[in-house]
Amino acid sequence: MLTINNLVKHRGAQEILSGISFKARPGRVTGFLGPNGAGKSSTLRILLGLDRATSGSALINGKTFAELHNPLVTVGAALDGFGAHRMRTGRAHLRWIARASGLSRSRVEEVLEIVGLTNVAGKRVGSYSLGMGRRLGMAAALLGDPKILVLDEPVNGLDPEGIRWIRTFLRERAESGNTVLLSSHLMGELEETVDDVVIINHGKIVANGTLKEVIGNHSTLEGAFFALTSKNAGDVV
Amino acid sequence: MRAFNAELSKLFSLPGIWLAFLIGAFAPAVIAALDSTAQKEKIIAGVSTRLSEVGYIGLGLGVQGVIILGVLAVSSEYLTESSESGGGNQITTSLTVVSSRFHFLLAKASAVTVISILLSIVAILTTVSATNLILGEYAPAFEASRLIGAVCYWIFTALLAFGITVLTKNGIIPLAVLMINSSVVTVSYLLAKVTKLAFYLPDKAGVDMFMFTSDSFHTPFTGGLIMFAWVAVLFIVAAIVFHRRDVTS
Repeated sequence: MLTINNLVKHRGAQEILSGISFKARPGRVTGFLGPNGAGKSSTLRILLGLDRATSGSALINGKTFAELHNPLVTVGAALDGFGAHRMRTGRAHLRWIARASGLSRSRVEEVLEIVGLTNVAGKRVGSYSLGMGRRLGMAAALLGDPKILVLDEPVNGLDPEGIRWIRTFLRERAESGNTVLLSSHLMGELEETVDDVVIINHGKIVANGTLKEVIGNHSTLEGAFFALTSKNAGDVV
Repeated sequence: MRAFNAELSKLFSLPGIWLAFLIGAFAPAVIAALDSTAQKEKIIAGVSTRLSEVGYIGLGLGVQGVIILGVLAVSSEYLTESSESGGGNQITTSLTVVSSRFHFLLAKASAVTVISILLSIVAILTTVSATNLILGEYAPAFEASRLIGAVCYWIFTALLAFGITVLTKNGIIPLAVLMINSSVVTVSYLLAKVTKLAFYLPDKAGVDMFMFTSDSFHTPFTGGLIMFAWVAVLFIVAAIVFHRRDVTS
C-alpha cells in the first residue's frame, strides 16, 4: 500500500505540488496521469526518498522510504532513463544492484530472462536502444521481487510489442496481489492496464477513483482526461 | 557491508577505473626513475642535496591515479544519459537500492579508501624497484614509517577528490584542478613562497608525512593530522549537502 498524504513541494518560488493525497492499493494497478510537468515525477521521487517534500508525507506500507531496511525487496522502482552508467554492461549493472541487496547472481539471470535482455546482457548500456534501456530499468525494479512497483512512464519509448508486454506483465503482478503505481501522460495505452486512476494537473489532484468512476460520462479515459485537465482544476470525482 | 561490496563491484566494472589503476601503479615509478636518472651522478659523487627525496618524489607527484579514482567514484553516479534515453542517471538507482544516504556515502568512501591502499602499495613496490634498479647500491633506504606516510597521503588525496566531487556532482572541474595542482602547477607550493599559512593546505601539509626536504614545515605526524582534518571537514560538509540535496536539483 502506498499512501500519499497532503504532499507539498516547493522548488524555489515555484509550488510544484499543492497538497496532493491518494492511495495505491494492493491487487490493483493505479495509473497516475497528468500532462508533462504536472508533478507526477516529483511525487514519485518524493515517495522514493530521492527528493524531499516541503510538507506532507509519502509512505510505503506506513513507512517512509528512508525507514525501509532493504528497500529493493519491498519496492521496485524504474524512473526516467535507464538509471545505469553507459560504460557498464547490463549484466554488471544488475549485479551491483543485486550485491547491494544481498541477492544472488542467479536472480540477475532470472530477471534478464523475464524482461528479455539475456542476449544483450553482455553489451554496454550505452549501446542499448530506448526500449532495451527501459527493460533494463524494469529488470532492476524486479530484482528483489518486491510486492510494490513504482514505475515512471514505463511505456515511454517501447515498441507496440513492449507496450503489450508491460501491460500483460503489470496485470499479472496486480492480480497476484501486488501494488503497482505507474505514471504516464499516454492515456490510450493505459486504459486497458489500470484499475484505479489518479489525475494530476498543475500540482493538484483533479480526479481520483476507479477507472469507471473517472471516465464517468465520457466515452474514453482520454476524453475524461482532457475534460478534467483543460478546465480549471477543482471537482474531484 | 552489502553496500560496500556493491560499491567495489561498481568501481571494478567501470572501464575508466582501469586507467586510474594503470596511472596509479606506474606513474610514480616513472617519475622516480626519471628523477633517479637525473640525480644519479650527483648521488654517486656524494654531492646530491636531494637524496632524501629520491623515489619518494614519485609517490608525491604520482597521485593522479587515486585522484581519478576518487572523482570517478562519484562523477559516474551523476553522468547524465543521452536525452533520447530520458536523461536519467545512476544515482537514482543507487539511492533506491540503499535507502540511507549516509550509508551510501560511507560505503563509497570506504571502497575508495580500500582501493587507494592497494594501489599505493603497488605504487610503492614499483617505485622502490625502479629506484633500486637505477641507483643500485646508492639507492636510499626506504623506511617503513615514511612509506606508511605515503599510503596515508594517497588515501587522503583520494578522499579529498571524492568529497569535492560530491559537492560539484561533476568530475571535470575537480579532475582538472586536482591533476594540475598535483603535477604541473602546485598552487600551495607557490603560495608557500608568500605566506606560511600555505603550509596548512592539505597537499602541502600531507607531503610532509613522507618527503623530508629543506622546506618541510611540519613533522610527519602533524602534517598527516592537518591533511586528515581537511578530509574530515570536507567529508562532513559533503555528507550534509548530500543528505539535504534533492537528487533532481
